[in-house]
Amino acid sequence: MSGLSRRDVLKLAGLGGAALALPASLASASGGGPSVVPPHAVSMLYDATVCTGCKACMSACNATNHLEPDTGLSDGLHQMPADLNSRTMNIIKLYNDPAGSWSFVKRQCMHCLEPACVAGCPFKALEKDRDLGVVTWDGAKCIGCRYCEISCPYQIPKFEWDKFNPRIVKCQFCYEQRLKDGKHPGCTGACPTGAVIYGTRENLLADARRRIAGYPGKYYKDRVYGETEGGGTQVFYLSRVPFSRLGLPSLSDESNPHYATKVSSKIYGWLAGPAIVFALLFGSINRNWKHHEANRRDHEAEGHLPEQL
Amino acid sequence: MSDSVWQRAIPVYEDRSVKKTFIFFTILAIAGTILAVLRMASPLGRYSAMNDFYAWGVWKTFNVMTLTAIGSGGLAVGVAAWAFDRQKLHVVMRTALVTSFLFYTTGMLALMVDVGRPWNLWHILLPWHWNMHSALLEVAVCMPTYAFLFLAFENVPLVLERYSYLGSDATRARIAGLEPVIRKIYPVMIAFAYLLPIMHQSSLGALMLLAGPKVHPLWQTQALPLLYVMAAGIAGFAFVIGTLLVCCLRYSRPLSTDVLGELGSLMSWLTFAWLAFRFVDIAVRGKFGLLLALDKYTAYFVLENILLLVPAIMLRSKQLRETPRILFMAAVSAGVGACLYRLVPALIAFIPARKANYFPSVAELTMTLGFIAAAIVGFKLAIRYFAVLPGPIADWQFAFKPATPKQPKS
Repeated sequence: MSGLSRRDVLKLAGLGGAALALPASLASASGGGPSVVPPHAVSMLYDATVCTGCKACMSACNATNHLEPDTGLSDGLHQMPADLNSRTMNIIKLYNDPAGSWSFVKRQCMHCLEPACVAGCPFKALEKDRDLGVVTWDGAKCIGCRYCEISCPYQIPKFEWDKFNPRIVKCQFCYEQRLKDGKHPGCTGACPTGAVIYGTRENLLADARRRIAGYPGKYYKDRVYGETEGGGTQVFYLSRVPFSRLGLPSLSDESNPHYATKVSSKIYGWLAGPAIVFALLFGSINRNWKHHEANRRDHEAEGHLPEQL
Repeated sequence: MSDSVWQRAIPVYEDRSVKKTFIFFTILAIAGTILAVLRMASPLGRYSAMNDFYAWGVWKTFNVMTLTAIGSGGLAVGVAAWAFDRQKLHVVMRTALVTSFLFYTTGMLALMVDVGRPWNLWHILLPWHWNMHSALLEVAVCMPTYAFLFLAFENVPLVLERYSYLGSDATRARIAGLEPVIRKIYPVMIAFAYLLPIMHQSSLGALMLLAGPKVHPLWQTQALPLLYVMAAGIAGFAFVIGTLLVCCLRYSRPLSTDVLGELGSLMSWLTFAWLAFRFVDIAVRGKFGLLLALDKYTAYFVLENILLLVPAIMLRSKQLRETPRILFMAAVSAGVGACLYRLVPALIAFIPARKANYFPSVAELTMTLGFIAAAIVGFKLAIRYFAVLPGPIADWQFAFKPATPKQPKS
């Protein structure tokens, strides 16, 4: 009896497993290609070595997006949020270590080439514009599940926990307010030193590389953060201190969506996996059912109680 | 049809007094329901401790991702009974199906409470609004379809049975007309009733794939969906075993060590398969070194595996799995282990990009426990009014007798 059970459980595991495990091994063989860059991908380049921390971009952001300034840390005197939050889509923070090394950093949505928030959003409330590549949020589709907050590797989307009609708050590149009409976003337009500039992804990446080439050794690892991180982003960072000090996570070149759908895209492609599992289940169940029904009829004909399903 | 002591599902008629435990669970369920209504009429932050870093609290990670594993008895026992023809398990199917239905329902209740913009849920009805790449969409569509269509269908015969005995002649005739229809579509319906939970129980694991490096590498693996659905099977078996033992002892029914042993044995083999998949996966990814960190993640990892491994080994002994007390402890251990495995990657080994804390608020926990209490109250009522729990055929003579008129007080 126990021999039979062992075989059965292995089959049982195999039933759910075969469809899942087999494509897994196939998928791991094929590597992830580079992300697709939208044709007119807009971009932001933030050079931390140029930023003076004036925070003009922050007030411009709040003004453009009609967000009430968060004055929490300043006793209501002026805008001073502790971090990105449901009233702050853009923030300037200071990294300062006792040894004397310091840097400002501007944080906002990275507008990933393969955004995890868009991949997970069940009803396409978060979408990446096909042309400009801007990641926007649509309140008419959002159910407030907050999967975007779980999946975002940069911890960017924020939720209005204290509102009756809560929104997901994150930088949308001022798409509605300015980009649509051909204008620059609020923050880049306000920056007095050119620490953050606006342009196409192609041009800004070339610009960043020129800066690195012009001053070898000035920038951390002579690298542009955002070129390949998490599949690449549309916001670039240049910094003299390590990126991790600025709160930018060190990510592999594979985007979360690519990692997460490697197996499932094969199983669910043409619904082949579910169809196979269903065919196996139904084949077996139907055979056993016919047998069961024959036994039942005999049993009930003998005058026993009706069988219970 | 079987020689076991359990021959038939029979309603509980022995004890109809209202006990203190029942009152306690009812009060807890009502408290949870009241809070749920208040929560639906308030901002989400008012009744929960969730924040932008731990955006999913106990409602999603425990009530949905963990407790639907406990509600997977209908899947685990059903696949064993119907797909693998373990005929002696048919007698406990109803126990599995009713517990599954109740835990799925309460899970979905928790999901409703958790969603911040429920007025937009109507998009679920329009497939062209779906994001087909989202594991959460798969869960959101598949789970209610399973619970309220296929699982509900599986529970229909036991409801009809009651009214075929107690209903009027017209009701009886109508039910007699329905039965051939049910039997005609039954095999197709239960095949879907096993396919769908395999899909959404694995998708629940796939949810955490998208969180990528935020989930500790001991748990973050491409095998998460497979391990999740198998853990659901283990927890499903464990919960059915536990429920049967508790209820049969509570209502003084004889125990069928034969059937219980079979459930224990299947659970044990499934656990071995799960452990094998898990350890091969970690070995292939070369992550065993992380256990040397001896931090809280090491502790949770060791705890999960011990809670599952020990009962799996014990239940290989026929003598041990047919000893009710041992079997009960083994089921509790495996059930807790499987549930822990489902909870840990979603909450405990989930590490946001910034230092943050989350501990559920009192209101949040009251709702979580209230939903479980509602399931217990529902189960208590179900086994009283319907033939759910298995028992010896001799007891059937008391089942479904029209109520006797109340004794006039003298």
